[in-house]
Amino acid sequence: MKCRVCRGPAVIDVRRHNANFCGDHFVRHCQEQVRRAIDDFDMINPGDRVLVAVSGGKDSLAVWDLLLGLGFEADGLYIGLGIGDYSDTSGSYARRFAESRGLKLLEVDLPTDHGFDIPTGAKAAKRVPCSACGLSKRYLFDRAALEGNYDVLVTGHNLDDEAAVLFGNTLRWDVDYLGRQYPVLPSRSGFPKKAKPLVRLTERESAAYCLITGIDYLVDECPMAAGNRHLGYKELLNDLEVRSPGAKADFYFSYLRNAASYFRSPEGAPTAELGECGRCGAPAQGELCAFCRLQERAAAVAVDAPRRRTATTTDSVSAETTTSDIAASHEQHHDSYTGGSQ
Amino acid sequence: MPGPVLVSVLVERLDINRESVLVVRNGMLVPGDERLEDTDEVEIRPVISGGS
Repeated sequence: MKCRVCRGPAVIDVRRHNANFCGDHFVRHCQEQVRRAIDDFDMINPGDRVLVAVSGGKDSLAVWDLLLGLGFEADGLYIGLGIGDYSDTSGSYARRFAESRGLKLLEVDLPTDHGFDIPTGAKAAKRVPCSACGLSKRYLFDRAALEGNYDVLVTGHNLDDEAAVLFGNTLRWDVDYLGRQYPVLPSRSGFPKKAKPLVRLTERESAAYCLITGIDYLVDECPMAAGNRHLGYKELLNDLEVRSPGAKADFYFSYLRNAASYFRSPEGAPTAELGECGRCGAPAQGELCAFCRLQERAAAVAVDAPRRRTATTTDSVSAETTTSDIAASHEQHHDSYTGGSQ
Repeated sequence: MPGPVLVSVLVERLDINRESVLVVRNGMLVPGDERLEDTDEVEIRPVISGGS
């Protein structure tokens, strides 16, 4: 295979573009795709202060590197979620990346700063860990971006992520979630502007970018994500992609071009009125925001745990109320997926 | 698996979706038409992550 641009030896084929690239021109291809996404969707303006949510995985480190390469000023934010050795390892990848480049990395540790970890939070919410994780990350990302006066919060969502979320939302014809799925979401009271500059690159391209540019990232998958629905959707879409290269991009970008406007409110934001959390001041549907309620329930689980070892009573947390917590978290004007876990 | 074998054939024989992996030989990314030899150290690196 020869590089489409220079005719030198290719290192990767990108079938949906019917193109092969050498290392240098593949990096340029990635830069062009990110530049185009930023311009097409008005994601970042010149001079904006950008906060990149980094997990230590390929997507978040790639997008941080790409933004810096395009001349943007970008700091990182790492959230330790207390998922055992996995969190320790992922944090070390994020720190090494930042240190080796002299970059600023903000850190929040969920167990230390908020008193619970994701396994405990998931148990308290009676949901799969990814739900408690997504809720916590959204809250902590928003808070860090607002407190740091950043203009844009960037996440490493790629084309596969977005196509899989769209696939799930379409399977259920969930019009609320469909209305919130867009590569950029404007800021509004209590929420920072959010952008996903990798939407024009697949996961395979994002991983290849890291390999070619020497970015050392955590390859292992989060142990709590194994077998989740999102992964199943990605497998289905990749089966389709092999048969019909470009299918994922068609599905996602045709939706944005031809259908998204039918589901969005005129401002691109949900219409439901939100109050203020009585504890932290974040947007909330009730007295407390979803994160503070999760924190309360996680504390109750932690306190109850020793007692339950000798008791036979069922969990005191109501499945009905915890489900509404999760729903409230989705009420926020962002989609339910926030990139790699830590 | 004995070599020589093309990257694309190796991935197909292992019943792996080519969109879900990268093939790395001796630390370097290789495309589908590259020929792998018996002496090559080959990594098939998964690229799909499921964080949600």
